[in-house]
Amino acid sequence: MSTQAWHASPPLEYIIDHVNVGLFVVNRDFEVVLWNRFMALHSGKTAEEVVGHNLFDTFPELPQRWLQQKLRSVFLLKNAAFTAWEQRPYLFKFPHNRPITGGVDSMRQNCTFQPITDDSGEVAYVCVSIFDMTDASIYQERLQETKRQLEEISVRDGLTHLFNRRYLEACLYTEFDRVRRYGGRLSVIILDIDHFKYINDTYGHPTGDTVLIHLAEILRNNLRASDIAGRYGGEEFALILPNTDPAGAATLTERIRHAIAEHPARHGDTVVPFSISVGISGLTDAVPEPEALVKNADLALYRAKANGRDSVVRYDEIAADDLSDSQ
Amino acid sequence: MTVEPLTEDQSDALQELANIAMGRAGKSLSTLLDSFVILSVPRVTVVDVGDVADTVARMANAPEIGTAVRQAFFPTVRGEAITIFGPEGCREIADLMGHEGELGDSQEQELLLDTANILVGAVLNGLGEQMETEFKYTPPSILAVRTPLQQLLNAENLDWTCALLIEVNFSLDERGFTCHMLTLMPENSLDYIRRTLDEMLEDL
Repeated sequence: MSTQAWHASPPLEYIIDHVNVGLFVVNRDFEVVLWNRFMALHSGKTAEEVVGHNLFDTFPELPQRWLQQKLRSVFLLKNAAFTAWEQRPYLFKFPHNRPITGGVDSMRQNCTFQPITDDSGEVAYVCVSIFDMTDASIYQERLQETKRQLEEISVRDGLTHLFNRRYLEACLYTEFDRVRRYGGRLSVIILDIDHFKYINDTYGHPTGDTVLIHLAEILRNNLRASDIAGRYGGEEFALILPNTDPAGAATLTERIRHAIAEHPARHGDTVVPFSISVGISGLTDAVPEPEALVKNADLALYRAKANGRDSVVRYDEIAADDLSDSQ
Repeated sequence: MTVEPLTEDQSDALQELANIAMGRAGKSLSTLLDSFVILSVPRVTVVDVGDVADTVARMANAPEIGTAVRQAFFPTVRGEAITIFGPEGCREIADLMGHEGELGDSQEQELLLDTANILVGAVLNGLGEQMETEFKYTPPSILAVRTPLQQLLNAENLDWTCALLIEVNFSLDERGFTCHMLTLMPENSLDYIRRTLDEMLEDL
C-alpha cells in the first residue's frame, strides 16, 4: 500500500494541501514561497504560477498599499494581524460556494497573518490563512435583516403602518426633553374620526379599516419631514410636531381637513365621506410634563366634539374661565 | 479577606519590566508608522471588579464617550486588552495605516481594529519578551461604539473579583491623536507572572 510510505502520518505538505483553509506564505520582498491547493483551486492560479513571484505582480487587484502596511506590521512588530469579513468582505475575490442558493457576490473571508521567525529570531515570513466565512455571513445578514424587521414592527401600527402609541410616547418624551434643554417649540395634535362607530355599523368593519388606512395615507402625504404621526388607539391619531407652534399646527390641520374633504375614503364602489375633530396643544412653561401636552390636546379635542364635531380647537384659545368650568 | 495579587516587590519589578517594554514598543511603532509615537509610563495597579467601571471612566485625559476594541491574549497569562478611542476614532492616522480615500463605516471599523491590534501587539509582545513568554492573540472585535466609558464594563456581568491592570496612553502629537489601552488579567491567571517575577527577584 502506498500509504505505508507515510509511516505514522502523512507528510506535512500533503496536509497543507488538504486542509480546508487557504494558506500562503510570503517573504520580506512579498514573494510568495508557499501556495496551498485551496488557494490554487479558488484563484485559478497553480503553485507553479505563483511561487517565486511577487504577490502584487501576480494579483494586481489586491489593495496593495493597505496590505503592504499590514504585512509590514507583522514583520516589524512580530505580531499577528487579522481581517474580518464584517469590515473587509474578502482579501482575494474568490467564487463563493453558493452558485445556486446565492446571497453573496463572492466568498466572504476572515484572514490571519502570522509571523514566522527564522533562526536569528527575526520575522522572515508571514503565513496568511484564509477562512471561508460565506455561510456564516449569510446567516448573520439574515439575522440582521430579521432584527431590522422586528424593530420596524415593534414601532408600527399593523393596520395603518403609522407609528404605534408606544413609539409616539417615546418620541414625545425625547422632544419634550429637547425643548426643555435647548429651547424651541413643540405642538401636539390629537384627532379623531367623527361618528366612526356609525361608519363601522353602517358599512361594516372592513370599510371602517379602509377609512383608517385612507386617513393614515392622507396624514403621511401632508406631513413635513420632522413631523411624527401615529395611531394613538381605535380611531384616534396623534401628531407630534417639533419646531411648530399651535398656529403652525392649525395650518397643518386645515391642510389635512381639506385633503379629507377632497378625497373621501372608498371601499369597492362605496364612497365613504367622513370628517375629523381636532385638538391642538403647544408646549409652554406651564406644561409640567409630556403627558400634560397630550392631556391638553385631548381636552381641546373634547371641546371640538362638543362643538358639533368636524372642527378644530386650540387649547391655548380656550378662555381661562371656560377651562376651569370643565375641569 | 482579600489576597493581594502581587506583593510590593513583585509590583515594583513588573512596573520596571513594563517600562522597558513600552520603550521598545514605542520605538517599533514609530518605525512602523514613520511618526514619533509616545507611549506613557504604564500604570500598573490592581483593580477590584466593583471599581473597574469607575477606574475606566476616570483614566487621565480619557474621553467621556468612547469607542472600544477588545482582544484576548493567552496562553501563559490570560487576559483581555481594551483599546479606547475618542468619539472621532482614529481617522487622524488612517493614511499611516495604509487606508486611502473616503472612510465608510466598515473601513473606519477596520481601521480601529487594525490600530488596536498593532498597539496591543507592540505592548504585550514587549512585555512577553521581558517575561520570556510568547503571547497569542484572538482577532480583535468592537466592544462598544460611542458609549459612555462608565458603561464599558458592567461589574454584574463579570465573574472575576480582582484583576491586574496595566494602563498605557498612546499618542501621536503631530496628528493630535491619542488613545488608551487597558490590559486586564484576572487574579486566577497571574501564576505565571508571579513565578517569573519571583525568579527575577531571586537573581538580583
